[in-house]
Amino acid sequence: MTATLNVLVGLAMGLNLVALGSSRLPGLIRAVALQGAVLGVMPVLMHAMDWRVTLVAIATVAGKGLVIPTLLRRAMRAANIEREIDPFIGFVPSLLLGAGGTIAAVALAQALPLLPEHAGTLLVPGSLASVLTGFVLLIGRTKAISQVCGYLILENGIFLFGLLLIHATPLLVEAGILLDLTVGVFVIGIIVDRIQRAFDTLDTRKLTVLRE
Amino acid sequence: MIVGPCIALAALGLAGGIVGGRRWPRVWLALTLMAATGGLGAALVLLAGGADWVWRSALPVGGEVIHLRLDGVSAVFLALMSVVGGAGAVYSREYWSDREQRRSAGRGRRWWSGLMASMGWVLLSANGLHFLLGWEAFTVCAFFLVTLDGRMKAVRRAGWLYLAASHAGTVCLFAFFALLAHSVGSWELGPMREHVELAPLFWLVLAGFGVKAGLFPLHVWLPSAHANAPSHVSAILSGVAIKMGVYGLVRFSGWLPVPAAAGWVVIVAGMVSAVLGIAFALAQDDLKRLLAYCSVENIGVILIGLGAAMLGAAHGGNGLQWGRLALAGALLHVWNHGAFKALLFFSAGSVLHATGTREMSRLGGLWRAMPWTAGAFALGSVAVAALPPLNGFVSEWLIYLGLFDAVTTQGPAAAVAVPAAIVLGVAGALALATFIKAGTIVFMGAARTRRPAHAHECGVLMRGAMCGLAAICLGLGLAPQLLRPILLRATAAWHPAWGGVDPGAPLVPLGTASLAVAMALAVGVVLVFAHVRRNGLNRSVTWDCGYATPGARMQYTSGSFGDLAARWFRWILRPERRLRRPRGPLPDGAVLVDRHPETMLDRVLRPASTGVLHVSTAVRRLQHGRLQSYIVYLVAGIAVLALMVLLGGSQ
Amino acid sequence: MTPYLEVPLRLVVLLGLAPLLPGIINKVKAWVGGRRGPPVLQLYYDLARLWRKGVVMSTLASPGFIAGPAVAWVAVVAAIVLLPLGPAEAPFAFRGDVLLMIYLLALARFGTTWAAMETGSAFEGMGVAREVSYAVIAEAAIIAAVLSLSVQTGSVSLSAMLAPAPGAGAVLLAAGLFTVLLAENCRVPFDDPNTHLELTMIHEVMALDHSGPPLAVILHGAAVKLLLFSLLLVEAVLPLGGVSAPVALAIIAAGVFVVTIGVGLVESLLARFAFRSVPLLLTTAFLMCLFALLMAWKGGAA
Repeated sequence: MTATLNVLVGLAMGLNLVALGSSRLPGLIRAVALQGAVLGVMPVLMHAMDWRVTLVAIATVAGKGLVIPTLLRRAMRAANIEREIDPFIGFVPSLLLGAGGTIAAVALAQALPLLPEHAGTLLVPGSLASVLTGFVLLIGRTKAISQVCGYLILENGIFLFGLLLIHATPLLVEAGILLDLTVGVFVIGIIVDRIQRAFDTLDTRKLTVLRE
Repeated sequence: MIVGPCIALAALGLAGGIVGGRRWPRVWLALTLMAATGGLGAALVLLAGGADWVWRSALPVGGEVIHLRLDGVSAVFLALMSVVGGAGAVYSREYWSDREQRRSAGRGRRWWSGLMASMGWVLLSANGLHFLLGWEAFTVCAFFLVTLDGRMKAVRRAGWLYLAASHAGTVCLFAFFALLAHSVGSWELGPMREHVELAPLFWLVLAGFGVKAGLFPLHVWLPSAHANAPSHVSAILSGVAIKMGVYGLVRFSGWLPVPAAAGWVVIVAGMVSAVLGIAFALAQDDLKRLLAYCSVENIGVILIGLGAAMLGAAHGGNGLQWGRLALAGALLHVWNHGAFKALLFFSAGSVLHATGTREMSRLGGLWRAMPWTAGAFALGSVAVAALPPLNGFVSEWLIYLGLFDAVTTQGPAAAVAVPAAIVLGVAGALALATFIKAGTIVFMGAARTRRPAHAHECGVLMRGAMCGLAAICLGLGLAPQLLRPILLRATAAWHPAWGGVDPGAPLVPLGTASLAVAMALAVGVVLVFAHVRRNGLNRSVTWDCGYATPGARMQYTSGSFGDLAARWFRWILRPERRLRRPRGPLPDGAVLVDRHPETMLDRVLRPASTGVLHVSTAVRRLQHGRLQSYIVYLVAGIAVLALMVLLGGSQ
Repeated sequence: MTPYLEVPLRLVVLLGLAPLLPGIINKVKAWVGGRRGPPVLQLYYDLARLWRKGVVMSTLASPGFIAGPAVAWVAVVAAIVLLPLGPAEAPFAFRGDVLLMIYLLALARFGTTWAAMETGSAFEGMGVAREVSYAVIAEAAIIAAVLSLSVQTGSVSLSAMLAPAPGAGAVLLAAGLFTVLLAENCRVPFDDPNTHLELTMIHEVMALDHSGPPLAVILHGAAVKLLLFSLLLVEAVLPLGGVSAPVALAIIAAGVFVVTIGVGLVESLLARFAFRSVPLLLTTAFLMCLFALLMAWKGGAA
């Protein structure tokens, strides 16, 4: 089971890099959606079949894999955003940063004092790498929607970390975060549309002139 | 014992050269060649299996008796110095002849002999004080050689920058030797690995010799000095003088204990130097500046090998094997880089001599006028890009083998060996791009301006020097198996524990493969040529790009060639670009100027030194000559002291 | 078998079969596109025709214009001799031969690019600049791939490195090496072998001014290089250590065939990438090889 889990986490880590390297918004959203769906399956693998876990898994897959991406796509279409991502940090440097971060996360996780049952899994490095990827996206992209994708990957990293505690804490917290995020994305979708109509741009660099 | 007489012969020749070099150029050449033969003979005899040569004289210099010593490590550098020194002397007879440089030619000969003598002294001296004296003399000789043609402002500036940077390094060395002599109690140098408390001194060694070696970012003086010096001087500076820095690093990392982090720092510094040096080289338009930056890269390659050796020595176990391999590669690269870089600088000098410009954008199509120079440059390019079957490949191959073995053992050193191997590959590919650019922009295509159209081939002495070095590049590449005892000897001298370890470098099959490849290349080229001749060969305009009148200015320039890869390093290259596009239906003109500044000098060092100047000007206001204020300082000082005593007493 | 007999035998087989690969690729492309396409043996006809022709040489070019392709061809052929064929070790195996192979390929690049620059045409300059620049990242990827094989087997010799079963990172390694294969041989996402007169190409533009036997040598060398990379990919990924020689050879041949068809399919289904995304794709290939290396490392440590 650990092997399957590791493959899934590895896939999520690969999707991090895909997200960093994708030069078009639909690709980025697709990567994020796929990562959310992959993560959603994990609780079922880790836990015995329990109706609550199954429910949360289904909710996660539906939320992260379907609802949020659909919202983002709709916002993108509604606001008529250019599909090309305009990077602040170029794609190749951010890819190399992400790869370096992933390697560092693996090395760091080996040094961390983990429980023996978690030592063999990739959960901790995966979570660290995802958080880092999220940060790189947040720092290095200019469009509001790609920044939202950065938040989503960041949250996925936190979700991965939360999986470590799956036996200790109820999934309620995770569900709460997910709900917050869905609402957040929903709101951002609306705001993005409004900003686009009002100012004709979604470039966050240009939005800085809006202060007072 | 033939080593002693050989060295005496060399010393005699150089002394004669210093005394009589000004008046009698032929005698000087003969004496210098004699000295070079002597030095080379001594070094080779020792490397081929002779015992270490030690000589003590009762004669004190500066209060210390003279103590000379030649062992495996210093012999490697002595051999290189002799070869390049001799070849450069031959070359300079024509390149910097009395006829063309009446004012400075005689002076140049003297300083040349002085440079060789002082470098030889540094290599042989086993006394800290004498080492420093020789080091200073070597720096001064090099300064006067760089500024031989002192009429140009750029040359003078380069000379002063060189002198200032060298002395910044020498300060570290002064501190190092003084501290060393203080804690050991004697100026005598030698293996002292058992004095563990000396380990932190290595950082002074790294800084002091790193400046001389041109380690990135301490290389600020290197490009301008090597570009502006006369070309035979550039050759010995790039080929040998910066290796003296490497010699210092190798010598004292072998003799003294090193801190645990030293190997890591050296290998990482080597990696940075390798990639950034060649990236800067790729962006240059000045042919000699390009070669100078390429030297920064090669120093990086050498330091990757040295760093791996230090890691291997610290690692123990099979680290002895791969460390020794890497060190063998590094020391061999010292030779190889000396040979092919001198060759390249000689050909660049020949181009400069014939056309009067170093700017590649003004050259082109020189091969027809200067076939020998073009051939020499092409051969040097293959060598510097580390391609088989020439010598550059052999040394990089040894370093690669060391790194690969370090990786397969999966020890802690593997974490740095993986990036080091990748960096070596990347630097090699960038070097290929750089030298394809340099070679073909300068020698191929059509002449871009009128200058190269009137070029002429260099004379027999310059050609002879180039051919000699080319033969060395070829020989070292085709028969690496001959180097095995030499490398074993040199590496054993670095670390005593390595004497019995077999590094397992199959140089014999490599030599066979190189030879086979070289023969196949020759046969293949001859066959294709014969076949082409049989089928018939027409010379004509092949393809005009579809333009009615293709001009020489339509060719790709060095800037456009390097731009693609140089753009990846924009963050450090910081190119300055001025662009005025053609506007309107009848554009009046367009301008595109691309300039690559010396980033480390202009953006880092200059602001820093201006800051220091500002601070010191501010501090200088304290010194104004008013007695009253001085008394205030005095009283304030006493008060502070009293306060310190008071507080200290209360605890 | 003595090496004196084996080397010529191998050379005849490998060099003879190499021109088949571009033929197969073109056939696949034609088949996907619903055309009949040129015969599979088309390159043989072309080579034979070119070999008999005379040469037109630019007035500006030096003898290097003809020597360059010859050097490149010899270098590629020497590189392929170093490659083992499954259990049949290379006739010339030694420690570190893999590095010689990589650098022989670099020597081939030196030959072709130098010759291309001879005419001074801006077209060739453009192609050469791209070729040598992208080679930088490809080189990093190849070194990473070789390191991962080396970590898996603890060896630096091709014969030992390519024999055993692949480790955990085989899929990554295969993907990375396949991308490098496409880039090094100037296949579609990087370059378009069909366009001969556009500004969008790398390799084809370098051979623009060549004619007659030198062009034949360049084309044949390119085919041999494609074969070399296919062999390397197949042998790096498939476990060939335990099987007998004839079976291994059959597997290798089938593998090369599959790789060739894969190249053809990629070429039919993908468009050439914009030039600014070429470094991105190559970096991806490099990272795939690098992660394969890390997985091999972790697999070895566990």
